Amino acid sequence: MPAWVKGASTDMDTAIAAAAELLGAARTPVIAGLNAEVSAIRAAYDLAGRVGASLDTLGAAGTYAELGALSRSGAMTSTPAEVVGRADAVLVVGAKPWSTELTGRILEARPSRGRAAGAERALMALGTGAPQAALTVPAEGGLLPGLALLRAHLRGHLAEASPTADLARTLAASLYVAVLYDPAEVGEMGVETIQGLVIDLNETTRAFSLAVPGETQDRAVVPVAAWTTGQAPRTGFGRRVPEHDPWRFDAARQVAAGEADAALWLASVPAPAPGWLSRIPSIALVGDASPEAAEVVIAVGVPGRDLGGVLWNETRGALTYWPARAGGAVAADLPSAASVLSRLTDHLAGRSDTAC
Amino acid sequence: MLSVIRGGRVVDPTASRDGVGDVWIEDGQIVDAPGREPDRVIDAAGCVVMAGGVEVHSHIAGGNVITSRLLLPDLYVSEAAPEGHPFAHAGGAAAWIGATYARMGYTTAVEPAMPPTHALGTQLELADIPLLDRGALTVMGNDDHLLTLLRDGEGANAVRDLVALNVATSRGLGVKCINAGGASAFKDGALKLSLDDEIPCYGLSTRRIMGSLLDAVEALKVPHPLHVHCNNLGLPGADDSFIATLDAAEGRRIHFAHAQFYAYGVTDDGKGFRSAAERIVRAIADNPQATLDIGQVVFGQTVTVSLDILRQFGGRKGAKPRKWVLNAGDAEGGGVVPFLYRPKGPTSSLQWAIGLEIMLLSPDPERTILTTDHPNGGPFTQYPRIIHLLMDRGEREREIATLPGVVGERSGLPGIEREYTLSEIAQLTRSGPAKLLGLADRGHLRVGARADVAVYRDDPNRTAMFTAAKLVLKDGVPIVEDGEVVEWRAGRTLSLSLDSDKAMARRTDTYLTDRFGTGLDSFTVPDEAFDAPTFEAVPCRV
Ligand SMILES: [Zn+2]
Repeated sequence: MPAWVKGASTDMDTAIAAAAELLGAARTPVIAGLNAEVSAIRAAYDLAGRVGASLDTLGAAGTYAELGALSRSGAMTSTPAEVVGRADAVLVVGAKPWSTELTGRILEARPSRGRAAGAERALMALGTGAPQAALTVPAEGGLLPGLALLRAHLRGHLAEASPTADLARTLAASLYVAVLYDPAEVGEMGVETIQGLVIDLNETTRAFSLAVPGETQDRAVVPVAAWTTGQAPRTGFGRRVPEHDPWRFDAARQVAAGEADAALWLASVPAPAPGWLSRIPSIALVGDASPEAAEVVIAVGVPGRDLGGVLWNETRGALTYWPARAGGAVAADLPSAASVLSRLTDHLAGRSDTAC
Repeated sequence: MLSVIRGGRVVDPTASRDGVGDVWIEDGQIVDAPGREPDRVIDAAGCVVMAGGVEVHSHIAGGNVITSRLLLPDLYVSEAAPEGHPFAHAGGAAAWIGATYARMGYTTAVEPAMPPTHALGTQLELADIPLLDRGALTVMGNDDHLLTLLRDGEGANAVRDLVALNVATSRGLGVKCINAGGASAFKDGALKLSLDDEIPCYGLSTRRIMGSLLDAVEALKVPHPLHVHCNNLGLPGADDSFIATLDAAEGRRIHFAHAQFYAYGVTDDGKGFRSAAERIVRAIADNPQATLDIGQVVFGQTVTVSLDILRQFGGRKGAKPRKWVLNAGDAEGGGVVPFLYRPKGPTSSLQWAIGLEIMLLSPDPERTILTTDHPNGGPFTQYPRIIHLLMDRGEREREIATLPGVVGERSGLPGIEREYTLSEIAQLTRSGPAKLLGLADRGHLRVGARADVAVYRDDPNRTAMFTAAKLVLKDGVPIVEDGEVVEWRAGRTLSLSLDSDKAMARRTDTYLTDRFGTGLDSFTVPDEAFDAPTFEAVPCRV
C-alpha cells in the first residue's frame, strides 16, 4: 500500500492524516484532474461539497469548447456506432481525428444500416489531408475560416468553383453526413460552426457531428457533475452553492493568481501531473504513483486494471463497467481512489456513517 | 420498533377507508393493531394520512436529462446546502429531485426512458437520487437488432427473448416504446410517421413493432403493461393516433404516456386543435385493460426531453430560447428542446385545460394518473397546485377567468363541476400508479404494505398542504418532518426479476460485437459498479 509524505514512505493512516491536515488548513482548496472512475469522481464531488473546494478536470480545454458551444447554440450529434454503420459521407475536420481508433473503424467499414447501406463511403478532409481522403480542402487560413467558408457555400451565400464548393456539394448530396472533429483542436467557435453547418444540412438531408474521444475521463465527469450539482464541471463550493464558472475555477489560473492554497490531484487513470502542482501544498491520489508526485502521495488502484470501475468507453460512447484485469495488482494492495477520498471526507467534514 | 400514527384522517381507497383512525407500523411495514403499547406515538390529529406517492413517468435521469442541464444551466435555482447533504438544494440535481419529491410525500419514482445502450449511466444517476425508491423503463422499438429480427420474420419467441435480455441486462422495471420505428425512420429521412406508415429499410410499421412488444410483455408476465408513447405527439389530430393505437392493442394491456399531448382534435377549419378529452376518456372507460398518465401542462419556462427524435426534430424551430440538442443515438437517442408554455397564451391555456379536463371527466382515477411528464409539460413540483385545481372548483374558476376565451370555446373545462375527493387524489397519485407498476407492496395502507406514509396537515389551501408534508415515513423511518428532510437515507432501485435465454444472449453478444466493437459485457449493470447495495428484485406476475 504505497504512500509517501514529503518523499518518505509511510503507512496509509499517516498519509491520510497528513492529507487531511493539509486540506484542512487551506482556505481555497482545489481538486483537479478527476481522471478517474465514476465512484472516485462522485467521492471527489462529495469532498469538495463538504469542504468548500472547487473542481477542475484534466481535459478542460476540449470539454469547454464543447460545453460552451452547446449551451450557446445547441448541437446535432451522432454516436460512434451510428457513424460507422450509417454514414455515406464523413468529413474529418483538422488533424487530430485522423489518429483516433474511431477513424480507423470508419475507414474499414462501409454503411451497413439505413438508407445508405451498401453505398460507398466518401471520406473528406478539411484542414489536414490524409491518403484515404477522396477530397481535401486545405484551409490555409485556419480551420475556423475554412469551416465558415464551407458553411457559406452550404447556405448558398457563395457559389464560385473551388474545392470548398465541391465539398459542400458532396455533403449536400449525401444521405447521412458525419462531421468528425476534436473539440480542443477546433475550439469553441469551431464547434459552434460545425453544429451550425450540420443543422443547416438537416433542412434537406441527415447530418450529424461526432466529437472524437479525448484521452481523459472528462466525458465521465460531465454527466456525474450534471447529476450531482445540476451543472457542468469547473464548479466551486466556496459559498455552499455549486457555482459553475469555467474561468474562475480553472485550477491553473487559481494557482497562478495565488487564489488556491492547496490542491488535490486525482488521477487514478494515470496522467501526467500539471506543472503548477508543485507550486502549492499538494496531495496526489494517483495510479502508478511515484514519491515525488506531491507533498502527500497515495497510490490508488487503476480502474479496469487493478480494480473494477466505471469509465467512459470511447468505443461505445457510454459509461461502462470495467472489471479488474487478471494479472493486475492484487486488489487488497491498492485502495480505490473513492475509499481514500471518503476517508478524507470523514476526517474533514466530521461525517457520520449514515450521510450520503 | 412499534409505532402508531394516531388520530389522523386515514385515506386509503383500496380499503374504502376514509375516516379518523390509527396506522400501526412495525419493522418497516403496516401491521394490525397488536394490542400492546407502541414505542412511538405520532400525533396526526388534524392531519390527512395517505400512502407515500408513486410517480410513474418523470424524466429524472439519463442522457437527455443531463443534456438539458448542460443546455439550460439556469433553468433551476440553487440555494445554499442544507445540513447533512451538500447538493440537496442544487437545483435540478439528483439530490434535489429526491428531496423535492420526498417533501411532497412521494416515496417512489420511475424514470420512463432508459435506452439499453446507456443503462449503466442512467442507473448510476438514479441510484444517486436519495430518499426514494426508483426504477426505470427499458426502451425498445427503434433498435436495429429488434427491427432486423422482425423484418426477417422471426417469431414471437425471438422477440420475447430479446426483450427479456434487454430488460435483464439494463435492470429495468418494465418496457416502453417511443414512437416505435420513428427514430429509425427519421435517420432515413422521414419527417412524419403514423401507425401504418412504412419504416424505411425494414418494411415494418409502428403497429407491427408495438404489437410484437405488447405480446412479449404479456408472454414474459411483466407486471407493468407496455408503456406506449404514440406517433404524432402534440399535433392536431393526435387523438386519432391515440385511438388507432388503442385499437391496435386489440385488448392487450397498454399504458399511454402523457395522454394530454394526444387529446388534440382537429378544428373544423383544419388549422388548429380543440380538446379531445371526452373522446380519450370514453376510450379509457370502454377499455378496462388500458391506462394513461396525463402529462399536464403548467405555465412557464421548461425544457422538453424526449427519445422521440422525429417529434423533437419537428418541434425544434419552436425552441425558446432558440437552441436545442438532438442526438441521433444508437437506437432512439434524444431531443432536448427548451420550451415556454406562455402564461395566458391561447395554445398553452388550451393544453392546460385539456389535461385537467381528462382528469375531471375520468371514470376511474386509478387509470388516469397524474403526471406532468416532468419536465415536458412542466416540473413535477407543480403537482400540489394541480391537485388544488382538481379539488377546488372555485380555485379552478378563478384561474380560468384569467385565461383567454379559447379555454371555454375549445374545451369543456369551465362547465365541469366535479371536485376530487381526497380518496380520488389517493387513487390518482398512490393506488393507481402502484397498481400500474405492479408494486403490490405500496400505494396503500393495508396490513403488509411497506410503511411509506405521508402525513399532511389538512388545509383548504391544497397547494400548501401537498407541497410540504408534515411527516413522511420511508420504510417506517421519518425522512421528512415539517416539510424538511431530516434523514438522508438511500432508497432502492426496483428492477424486474427476469431470466434471459442463453442462446439469445450468445446471439446478441455476436450482434453487439459486430456493431459496437464490444459485446454484451459492456452493456451490463453489475452490482460492483455501485458503491452501495442498490437493487431490489420485483417478481414477474404469476
Ligand atoms: Zn415522457
